[in-house]
Amino acid sequence: MDEMTGENININEQLKEASTNALRCMQCGVCSSSCPSGRHTSLNIRKLVKIAGRSSDILKSDELWMCTTCYNCQERCPRGIDIVDTILKIRSISAYHNIILPEHRAVCQMLLKYGHAVPINDDYKIKRTEMGLEELPETVHKYTDSLNEVKELLTSCGFERFTEDNTDENKTMENTA
Amino acid sequence: MSNLSLFLGCVAPNRYPGIEAATKKTFSKLGIELDDLEGASCCPAPGVFRSFDKTTWLTLASRNIALSEEMDDDLLTICNGCYSTLKEAETELKKDSGLKKEVNEKLFETGHEFRGQHDVRHVIEYLYQNIGVDGIREIVSNQLDLRVAVHYGCHLVQPLKEAGSGLVTNDITFFDELVEATGAKSIDYEDKMMCCGAGGGARAAVQDATLRITEKKLQNMIEEQVDCIVNACPFCHLQFDSGQQDINKNSGTNYEIPVLHYTQLLGLAMGFSPEELGINLNSTNTAVFIQRIKEGFVTA
Amino acid sequence: MAQSEINDDTKNTDEPRIGVFICECGVNIGGVIDCHAVADYAGTLPDVIRSSVNKYTCSDSGQSEIKQAIKDNNLNRVLVAACTPKTHEPIFRACVEEAGLNPYLFEFVNIREHCSWIHMQEKEAATEKACELVRMGVSRASKLEPLQSNEVPVTNTALVIGAGVAGMQSALDIADMGYKVYLVEKNPSIGGKMAQLDKTFPTNDCSICILGPKMVEVARNKNIELMTYSEVEEVDGYVGNFKVKVRHKARYVDVNTCTGCGLCVEKCPVEVPNTEFNEGIGTRKAIYVPFPQAVPLRAVIDKSVCIDCGACSRACSSNSIIMEQEDTFSELDIGVIVVTAGFDVYDPEPTHDFGYGLYDNVITGMELERLINASGPTMGKVVRPSDVKPPKKVGFIQCVGSRDKKRNRYCSSFCCMYALKDAQLIREKYPDSEVYIMYMDMRTPFRNYEEFYDRARDMGIRFIRGKPGKVTENEDNGLKVRVEDTLTNDIIDLDLDLLVLSVGAVSSESTERIRQILKVSRAADGFLMEAHPKLKPVDTTLDGIFIGGVSQGPKDIPYSVSQGSACAARATRYLAQGKAITEGITVEVNPDICVACGICVPMCPFQALSIEDGKLNIIKALCKGCGTCAVACPTGALQQNHFRNDQLLAQVKNVFTFEE
Repeated sequence: MDEMTGENININEQLKEASTNALRCMQCGVCSSSCPSGRHTSLNIRKLVKIAGRSSDILKSDELWMCTTCYNCQERCPRGIDIVDTILKIRSISAYHNIILPEHRAVCQMLLKYGHAVPINDDYKIKRTEMGLEELPETVHKYTDSLNEVKELLTSCGFERFTEDNTDENKTMENTA
Repeated sequence: MSNLSLFLGCVAPNRYPGIEAATKKTFSKLGIELDDLEGASCCPAPGVFRSFDKTTWLTLASRNIALSEEMDDDLLTICNGCYSTLKEAETELKKDSGLKKEVNEKLFETGHEFRGQHDVRHVIEYLYQNIGVDGIREIVSNQLDLRVAVHYGCHLVQPLKEAGSGLVTNDITFFDELVEATGAKSIDYEDKMMCCGAGGGARAAVQDATLRITEKKLQNMIEEQVDCIVNACPFCHLQFDSGQQDINKNSGTNYEIPVLHYTQLLGLAMGFSPEELGINLNSTNTAVFIQRIKEGFVTA
Repeated sequence: MAQSEINDDTKNTDEPRIGVFICECGVNIGGVIDCHAVADYAGTLPDVIRSSVNKYTCSDSGQSEIKQAIKDNNLNRVLVAACTPKTHEPIFRACVEEAGLNPYLFEFVNIREHCSWIHMQEKEAATEKACELVRMGVSRASKLEPLQSNEVPVTNTALVIGAGVAGMQSALDIADMGYKVYLVEKNPSIGGKMAQLDKTFPTNDCSICILGPKMVEVARNKNIELMTYSEVEEVDGYVGNFKVKVRHKARYVDVNTCTGCGLCVEKCPVEVPNTEFNEGIGTRKAIYVPFPQAVPLRAVIDKSVCIDCGACSRACSSNSIIMEQEDTFSELDIGVIVVTAGFDVYDPEPTHDFGYGLYDNVITGMELERLINASGPTMGKVVRPSDVKPPKKVGFIQCVGSRDKKRNRYCSSFCCMYALKDAQLIREKYPDSEVYIMYMDMRTPFRNYEEFYDRARDMGIRFIRGKPGKVTENEDNGLKVRVEDTLTNDIIDLDLDLLVLSVGAVSSESTERIRQILKVSRAADGFLMEAHPKLKPVDTTLDGIFIGGVSQGPKDIPYSVSQGSACAARATRYLAQGKAITEGITVEVNPDICVACGICVPMCPFQALSIEDGKLNIIKALCKGCGTCAVACPTGALQQNHFRNDQLLAQVKNVFTFEE
């Protein structure tokens, strides 16, 4: 799991490692014509695979985050490229270098605070009781010890870097690009 | 055969408690005990958290599985997303002992251990394989006369670990069979196997675009005059349900297709009322649907 | 069986006198290993009389050096440490033989693949290892003994399995050289896939027009005995001496009196889809003549659908219908075998590729071939299966089932060309039509192929560089194909009336059957494997058996014809000499120790062993020297020549040296 301890590993090296089998792409276009997101966004997954592993520009692309991970492309790729898995790894490298959408950062903050990406609120507590269920589900919402365990684990994984907006690091990223 | 623990995830208990209730009620009627998985957290959501950091994702996922193992239970999910995370984590850790060791070093600090002696199941594949279509038919007391648009979603069927199933994936039928076991009819519609649009963190990142994906599915379903959508994933459920509201608001359309999780459909077929199953709690107006259920769509 | 003395072995006794030659192989070995150090070390080893280094030992000068050294130093063993025995062992064996030594007194140590090429970054360690390998080789060399090759006579007949264009060519060539050929074909007519085609690229010659005369030639050739509707059932024996059993399936028609007039076909009341020749399009009767230009032009009855009404018998004016006919068998004595068993067309149905099998108007390239063929089921009209109307917009998708990790990994080599051809034919027949070809690459390598591609473009055929991700059906049974034109970055939804899948070749079941009977190897892509990918494209590792045509891998017609001739040339070497030399590295049994337990017999993959009269009998010509039986032998009576226990153990003992 080099991604987290890769302080000394150059970004380009990381990208190369993340995209190893993307190099065999012959740009046939099965992926882009199977992509549900591609129809409605600027995402052209074929183009993304083309630069994966070859250019760190990919870290700056908005399209990187438009993939719904439906896996159509990976299923059909005639070269057997793990397209979605590569996108996820590149996103990791991006996130590690503080390139995260504010909406996603908010989700991270939810996880750190509540142990849930989509936590309960008062409205839904009421709906639960209306259903004959307990106000709080049998999750970390109900058991603070468990929530603390989750927080501990998140800390040991260095998760805070995703919840804090470190603009200084942002500058470092641009220098190494 | 192991007992089952019920993994709730986030969206079901915190936004669509009807799905939680429906699962508990239908399994109770099937005579299958579901243990509460006390202290479970977010699975964590594959689209967002696997995009940020694999270590975090794997660690939290294995903790959830470990909780189930500690009760000597297999883990039952009711969500494609949770299934994707937990099944993938289970597979990787069972295969790679080095990775398992690394993850356990973190888990030990919190008093847990991933042993890899149990399985992660999805409610749809569990019902299909362990109860069977015939088993469902037997327990159904109220035949549902409904035209259903079945939405498999993505992570229930992809990625296939073996060689792919071809570019037109019309050969997968297990979810349709389960739906038809309730008496309903699964209606074929264009792009049935297409993604709802929500996953991969896309809903948070580019919500408008994802709604366009969803709208395409809705249009295709409407063309076939379906009575409702049945899904296997609370996130797809959310995308379709609150999605219709958002689309209506943005484009002035009038989508009003009721959205049901399979456990809710099954609950209706077992004789539970729509209210008991939380169908009335949807964002989309389900009053008409509920009325029809009470009147005519159900034949005892 | 005649044993011939290859050489005078007066030098091959008693004290071994070993000559060592270390090869630098240019920089291949010399760039990593210090060959002089190895040679010096070799000189210190027991029984080594002289040791030297060459730059290219396989060269003329290198070989001369070896021969001279044998004479000058009275050597009776030679060790060369160089490249791979796979390519060079025969050269050095021949060399020492010329100098009067038995060729099996030669030891080859590989210090290239086994040393210099894999330890390129560790020169010192590699040199040490080379010394160790040579030490092991020397200890084995001391224990080598002279062996004799076997000479077997060769029956002067050939068997060609499969009468497609490659097989026909092969048979004609061997026959024209004056030898008898048995040409066996499983279908009721010869001609293979080429007979089903309409036109052939790059000339757009009518296929059957050019094939037909060849088919007639085959039938007329006095040296060719044509066995159609027949299959090879068993093959025993070895090069020059094969015993082949052929089943002649019952046609229920007397081929000697049937004239192929077709009256029986007219009267037959049973109609079934024509799956054999017309790819399932249109029908044939229970009794049928395969196609108008069939050779032989005779009827055949498909008993599985025949209702035995007798209408054909009544119609036949030559009393040729024989309903009680049974399969017959022939036992043939064969010298050499050529396998040109053809292929099957990739079937996209089980995986519903691009909607095939789900939507009516998605067809394969072969199905299109039959539609467009003037003597096909629609008399040459290209029509949509759904409404039998001509299409206005036709699309081709290339690489269906090929170049795909999830289907077949290989490129099927002829699909680009046949799509270009069919596209041109459609444009010619229907000038108002729009034709699209969706491709990833256009592969048009040989004479006039690139020009053919130009022609297609000039005719207004439209090319979209992209492989589609999705195909759905429209209301009028048309197809909507979603494809990205990767050259313009546009994702297009293309509406078509007819979609043609350019499918490739896959190895056929009948080839697999033949392969298992003959024990020919199969390559990873499923087709038959040649002995050497560059230098022996039509040989197999089995003496006397040759492969060609598409059963050796997808190829076009000119290439198939070439391979047919190549097989004939390679095979006729044996026929012309009248004898074959088989390897001396066989297995030997010590009759004093052998208890005839028979454990070895089923172990032999080549069926060279049998117990007769309480004794083990070895057919040396069949023995390939694999050693499996020797390993299984519980008493040690069976020893593998050239790899005897004492020879191998000597090597093992000398892997390490021990300090006292």
